Amino acid sequence: MNTPATLRARSEDHAARLPPLLARAEQLAGAVLLGDHGRRRSGMGDDFWQYRPAQMGDSRRMIDHRRSAMGDQQFVREREWQIAQSVMLWCDQGASMRFTSNDNLPTKSDRARVLTLSLAILLNRAGERVGLTGTRLPPRRGNAQITQLAEMLSEDQDAEYSPPEHRAMIPNAAAMFASDFLGDIAPVELALTKAADRGVRGTLLQILDPSEEAFPFHGRTIFESIGGTVRHETLKANDLKDRYFARLAERKADLQCLCARTGWQYGLHHTESSAQSGLLWLYQAMNGGARV
Amino acid sequence: MAVSGDEWRGTGMTILGGIGFGAPWLLVALAALPILWLILRAVPPAPIRRRFPGVALLLGLQDDETVSDRTPWWLILLRMLAVAAIIIGLAQPVLNPENASNDTNGPKLIVLDGSWAGAIGHTRQLQGIEAELDRATSAGQPVAILQLTDPKSLVFLPAATVAASLTGLKPNPWQPTAENVATAITAITNANASSAVWFSDGLAFKGHDDILATLESVPDLRVLQGTHQIVGLTPATYGDGAINLSALRANARDAQDVIILAQGRDLSGNNATLATATAQFASGENTANTAMVLPSELRARVTAFEIQGLRAAGAKTLVDDAFQRREVALISGREGREGLELLSPLHYLNQALEPTADLLSGALVDVLPANPDVIVLADVAILSKAETTSLLDWVDKGGMLLRFAGPRTAASDISRTEEDPLMPVRLRSGGRSVGGTMSWGEPKSVAPFTESSPFFGLKVPADVLVSSQVMAQPDPTLAERVIAQLNDGTPLVTRKSIGQGQVVLFHVTANAEWSTLPFSGLFVEMLERLAVSSSATAPDATDLEGTIWTPRQVMDGFGTLRDAGTLQGVDGPDLIEGDTGPNLLPGIYTSGDRVLARNVISADGVLNVTNWPANISVSGYAIEPPRPLGGPLLALALLLLLADVIASLALSGRLLGQASRGTIAVLALGLILWQTPTANAQTSDIDIASELALAHIITGNKDVDEVALAGLRGLSDTLFFRTSIEPQEPVSVDLETDELAFFPILYWPITPEQRRPSIEAYAKLNAYLRSGGMILFDTRDANIAGFGSASPNGRKLQEIAGLMDIPALEPIPADHVLTRAFYLLQDFPGRHTSREVWVEASPANAEQAEGMPFRNLNDGVTPVVIGGNDWAGAWAITPSGGPMLPVGRGFGGERQRELANRFGVNLVMHVLTGNYKSDQVHVPALLDRLGQ
Repeated sequence: MNTPATLRARSEDHAARLPPLLARAEQLAGAVLLGDHGRRRSGMGDDFWQYRPAQMGDSRRMIDHRRSAMGDQQFVREREWQIAQSVMLWCDQGASMRFTSNDNLPTKSDRARVLTLSLAILLNRAGERVGLTGTRLPPRRGNAQITQLAEMLSEDQDAEYSPPEHRAMIPNAAAMFASDFLGDIAPVELALTKAADRGVRGTLLQILDPSEEAFPFHGRTIFESIGGTVRHETLKANDLKDRYFARLAERKADLQCLCARTGWQYGLHHTESSAQSGLLWLYQAMNGGARV
Repeated sequence: MAVSGDEWRGTGMTILGGIGFGAPWLLVALAALPILWLILRAVPPAPIRRRFPGVALLLGLQDDETVSDRTPWWLILLRMLAVAAIIIGLAQPVLNPENASNDTNGPKLIVLDGSWAGAIGHTRQLQGIEAELDRATSAGQPVAILQLTDPKSLVFLPAATVAASLTGLKPNPWQPTAENVATAITAITNANASSAVWFSDGLAFKGHDDILATLESVPDLRVLQGTHQIVGLTPATYGDGAINLSALRANARDAQDVIILAQGRDLSGNNATLATATAQFASGENTANTAMVLPSELRARVTAFEIQGLRAAGAKTLVDDAFQRREVALISGREGREGLELLSPLHYLNQALEPTADLLSGALVDVLPANPDVIVLADVAILSKAETTSLLDWVDKGGMLLRFAGPRTAASDISRTEEDPLMPVRLRSGGRSVGGTMSWGEPKSVAPFTESSPFFGLKVPADVLVSSQVMAQPDPTLAERVIAQLNDGTPLVTRKSIGQGQVVLFHVTANAEWSTLPFSGLFVEMLERLAVSSSATAPDATDLEGTIWTPRQVMDGFGTLRDAGTLQGVDGPDLIEGDTGPNLLPGIYTSGDRVLARNVISADGVLNVTNWPANISVSGYAIEPPRPLGGPLLALALLLLLADVIASLALSGRLLGQASRGTIAVLALGLILWQTPTANAQTSDIDIASELALAHIITGNKDVDEVALAGLRGLSDTLFFRTSIEPQEPVSVDLETDELAFFPILYWPITPEQRRPSIEAYAKLNAYLRSGGMILFDTRDANIAGFGSASPNGRKLQEIAGLMDIPALEPIPADHVLTRAFYLLQDFPGRHTSREVWVEASPANAEQAEGMPFRNLNDGVTPVVIGGNDWAGAWAITPSGGPMLPVGRGFGGERQRELANRFGVNLVMHVLTGNYKSDQVHVPALLDRLGQ
């Protein structure tokens, strides 16, 4: 598997995947900034930090035209928060996320990555420090961090349902967990309580495929997990429908209850709805979380 | 499993409900189907594997019931049907199984009515006979064919030999006569056949039961009768300004419309349909009447009425001169006497002729240019020199001069010492008067007419008396010129022929001064006999007493007219009252100047359906050949199983599982696109008009059309390779719908079952021919028949081409431009090598110049080329470019194909360049090539 040839091919595969993810995330982030732009708050003038020349990757609406009009060079006006917030992201990369019921819909993991990275870009622009939970990528600022983040988000894990990473939580930071939360709920509970112990607040985004909400199955069926490790056989799939719904509702209620206890926010996103609505909710929720 | 032909023919067959089974015991397996039903119901469908992340939530859930979803009942039914189809298919079912037990080796007699009614379904009848012969061939039976209308002594021959002579079998235009029936009964009795098949035309005739009684002595008798409706036409009559037509049918079933066509000559003398009318048979009625109102000029040109789409002598009624109105010019010498209408010499003539003739009046010099049929001179004695000359000239060309005597004639010196050229006899001075107040004797009555007289047979009323007359001088020629005389032997009417015309002199006046003849009906009848007037009503037998009628044109069973040749004459009463038979063919008969049409169905004729006794079973012609059903049933089973596969996949959700709907849509679209080329093969008019394209007429016979198209494709390729003509793909043309103007040449293969084009299509064809198009007619049968009506194809060609504007034809002369339009050719072979190819006749005045190899023929392109060499067969190529059909044998055959291609090239060159190669400018080069 790790012969130079396959390594090279896989690397190129990843490299090829990265720019689109980044580009899509940037695009998504740009759309959200539009909505946030007019909402200036008083006292912001004090936060002026510096003018810096515009660089590649800066959106045109970031250019400060008042300063730029004085000369030929374009400048971006940067502000600095007195205390930069650290935001830790966790995006489920387990096998269960690589599922879509319809070719026209993105997989859950795709949607989760796009949303996570977009949020990271937005937060980075707002001056926050962004990183992954755990020790792999501690929160940092700057475009290089976004690139690294994108690279790490693109990786897949073999685990069927991967548990949230709860180690090395930075005290009083913010966090965002994106997953379908269909696996065992115990690790999630552990991660959240641990985070709450350290004063970490954040949001929990559950991403579901429409078929997971509709359960449109009939007849004798063997259900298999994406990795093929878990299976369940039934003779009449439609008979299971009601009980499946009940279990799904129970899971959602558990998550909500958990969030309420730990002061987190719970959000549900379906892959058939637009990514932008998900990002908008996420950004507002994070802002709220950061302000508290 | 394939059921070979011999297998089902030879083995004994169990027949269940009209379907024979070769292996009937296999059907027992059908009883196992209910068990299969139960098994199929019990076995659950295979589980579906699904990837589903939510499976973690499902873990631990138990099914409420242990029974799985059942296969839907319709899916089980589908499977059962498939299994049933396989079982029945393997049992070797045969539709229309043959009853082989009836066939023995004894001689087989095929009896045909052979009447005109058989012409309606002739083709199908022939096919039925062929099927019988095939059967006889396989059973090894000798066969004889007996045609009741033309019975001959029977000779039993091998069926294959008889099959070769089938094309000569034609229906006759009569019903079996008593004589025919007697001969036929003798023949049947002597034949001692072991089986007999009677192909009945469906029309009753006298003696039918006798023949049936005789045939019932044959051990195995089958009767076949066509199911088509027999429709006939009674002779047209003229009355109240309209032509009344009535159509008869044999079988009064549902309402039915027949279209009656008036056929005749158009202004340029070509055959054309002049008018149409529709006659409607009410439901349950045997007669349908209709009327046609035609202008008299058009009416005079009608030669026959026929029912559209039927080719039978009974469905055609010929028209004699009854509808024709002769132009008669009346000229009298006594003018300007006012108020004496009844004394006018022309009064009685006017009365007698007005109903049936167009009358002209005026001065003789004014009337002559109108070229009337008859000129009547009533008591005109003296004619000027110019008048005499032009009148003589007119009579010489066929005019009829009818002269009446009178006081002036008697007083003049005309024809006194020397016979006047416009008088039949010399006259004695003064005439005579009998029975008057100043004279002796009694008025004289008219003597009975002698046999040589055209009036022979007319009854002379006793009250016709002659009191004055002009007297003829005794002459050696007098006796033969007298056609009517008085009781004392003095001439009353004399006649002399001049050239093609004649002069007739009534020795009395045209009014009642000298005789009572003009009062009597005899006068009108005499005028009719002289063809001065045509009779308004059909003559009855007594009218024609004593006349002999010579056939001019006679009909065959299909209603086609042909020249009568040397057929013998018929007695007048027989012509009217006799039944048509071998000695009295329907057709056009003449006697003297009079013309009479004899039709198959007389005015009071009826058509009766044959009544078969209950013990005779009658079936249709179409004997369906045994058809094994095993193959189709097994194919059906396969289809059902395929449907089962699709349905199962759909049920389990796997049909659309991986392949999205889009893929299926693309597949379906591909399927449609794949089919579109065949549907869209007919290129648009614009495409055809933009490039030269060869075309053939669609005959309706798939094989022939295919060969024709392939042939034209081959010819197009040849042209493309060898000449500067680069045609595009050839086109199949439907005469009824497609525009013909784009094609320089149309190839028209003839098949016997081809439909005759409609009137509109004929108009289109004639316009096409007149505007320079060319049609290559190919009867494709030069190997078995010569040119003409000897073969079914030839007859069909005559029928089709009859209404087309085709000029006089001649066999292609050796110096025709077709022989050198591109290649130098002397023969025009196709797949056959007949030399009979006909083209438009060259003008009569074409002369061969001194020292030139060919005549100077700078006329137009021939509009038709007619032959039977099956050229398309020789030109035809397969899509890969190889020849489609074999021609001849070995190298000689390839040479023949090459010559056929060269003929095609020459033909297209001739069409496109006209008679360019006929120009004498090319003579030196051609002489050089010809090696002179």
